[in-house]
Amino acid sequence: MLQQLSNLSDKELISRARKLKDQEAEGVLMERYSHLMVAVCLPYLNNGPATSPEEIYPALLQRLSDSLKTQTIPKANEWIHYTIRAQQARTDKNSPFFPSTESREQQQIEARIEKAATNQKEQQQLIATIERTLDKLSAEEKYLLKEFYMNNKSFAALAETKQISIEKLRQTLQQAKQKMASLLMNETYE
Amino acid sequence: MEQHLVDCDLCFDALQVLQQQQYREKYQPLSASMQQYIRNSIKQVSHAHKAERYQRQEQKKESFLIYFWVVAAIAAGAGLIYLIQQQDKFKPSVTKAMASNAEIPAQRVEAPAVQAAVVTPVRAERADTLSHRPAPPAATTTAPVAPPAATPAPATPKPVIKDSVKAKTPAAVPVNKDSAKKQAPPATKPAEVKETVKAPAPEHKDTPTVAKKTEDKPEPKPVPKEKKDDDDDKPKPKPATETAASGTDEFLYKAAMVYHQQGDLNEAISRYKHLSGSSGKYGELSRYQLAVCYRSKGQTGKARRMFKEVVRMNGSMKDKAQAALDNL
Repeated sequence: MLQQLSNLSDKELISRARKLKDQEAEGVLMERYSHLMVAVCLPYLNNGPATSPEEIYPALLQRLSDSLKTQTIPKANEWIHYTIRAQQARTDKNSPFFPSTESREQQQIEARIEKAATNQKEQQQLIATIERTLDKLSAEEKYLLKEFYMNNKSFAALAETKQISIEKLRQTLQQAKQKMASLLMNETYE
Repeated sequence: MEQHLVDCDLCFDALQVLQQQQYREKYQPLSASMQQYIRNSIKQVSHAHKAERYQRQEQKKESFLIYFWVVAAIAAGAGLIYLIQQQDKFKPSVTKAMASNAEIPAQRVEAPAVQAAVVTPVRAERADTLSHRPAPPAATTTAPVAPPAATPAPATPKPVIKDSVKAKTPAAVPVNKDSAKKQAPPATKPAEVKETVKAPAPEHKDTPTVAKKTEDKPEPKPVPKEKKDDDDDKPKPKPATETAASGTDEFLYKAAMVYHQQGDLNEAISRYKHLSGSSGKYGELSRYQLAVCYRSKGQTGKARRMFKEVVRMNGSMKDKAQAALDNL
């Protein structure tokens, strides 16, 4: 059973946990992300009161389990990241997780691209629109995106040529991607 | 991998943390214990337990379904039986009611035929018997006369009968009439068979006369009295259905009630009228209902008269009729 569950996607596990109140599915999902949770929480361990690993991880898991039942979770990684940040900020107020507009737009574009994968005509149309939107981006963003995604250059190589840190490079790339997604979405609305 | 890192903050943060040596050492045991913790917490809901629970749920569902279908089947069966019963109850009453319409003309139509079929042979028989009885000497006399023609027996008795009928029927018929009117005990022995058949006839003759006394419409009644044919008509179905007479009355009454309840007052009145001639409680009941029908039709005069008749009959409905009369 556990084996079968671990083959399911995040989305399926979440819906199982929610609809069937399947605790096993919930456990499999938590386990899938447990190493990331552990790693992200490491710097905050033993930093103050109630920050021992025996306290912080069960508390985090409980919080995730509670919010899993009530919140809309399009992307599990974003949801977990948000929850960890909220816990680390020690906000007692349990503000619910909402996916950002950019994230939603990005997701929609991704879904569209996936859908077009089998339709050549749609693919051609999409390529044309993506090229048009690429032209709307700034020269640096366009260059970074092209180099990173089309020429498959690594963070390190790009950071070196641009003389910026890897973190900054990643941020720029992320922003450029989100910007492109919003532009694409706006184009479809027009 | 780097492409994923662009999108995934969680992974990027984790990587950033793990790049530092100090955390890397802690990471392995901690993540192992975290996995263990999660596994332990979901262990309670183990696969076996869940399968069992699922099975139990399914069984419960199934048993509920079975119960449901059993109950539904029983209900459907009961409903069907009830419907059939209702239909049976309703049908006979309606068909009887319909038949009662057709019965009387049918009887009248059939009567001559029946009479011809039954009565004439009886007469012939009677004639035979009569002829046989007083005419044993004749037979004996004729017998020797026509011994060779004995085989065509009907041929020889016929003239004899004719003779004997000619001779005796004037005597026999009045006797029969007398017997019918006086409930004749002096009926001849062979006539006893007929008496059993005819015996109810005088009774019924009496009842119409009793009814006649109370009823204002003697017109239809005297006719059957005066005419012998009609006389035979009426008694004939009755002896046959002597025991069922009250049953048919009941059916007719019920049929009339159905019309009454349906609001078809005219039809109900005609049916009640038809029944009101009969003796027993249905005659009285139908008169009472007739009065009720008249009352609801607004014909208070007729209603009053009917109620009065019911009162005069001094039966079980007397009190009610009296009360209705008082209220009119």
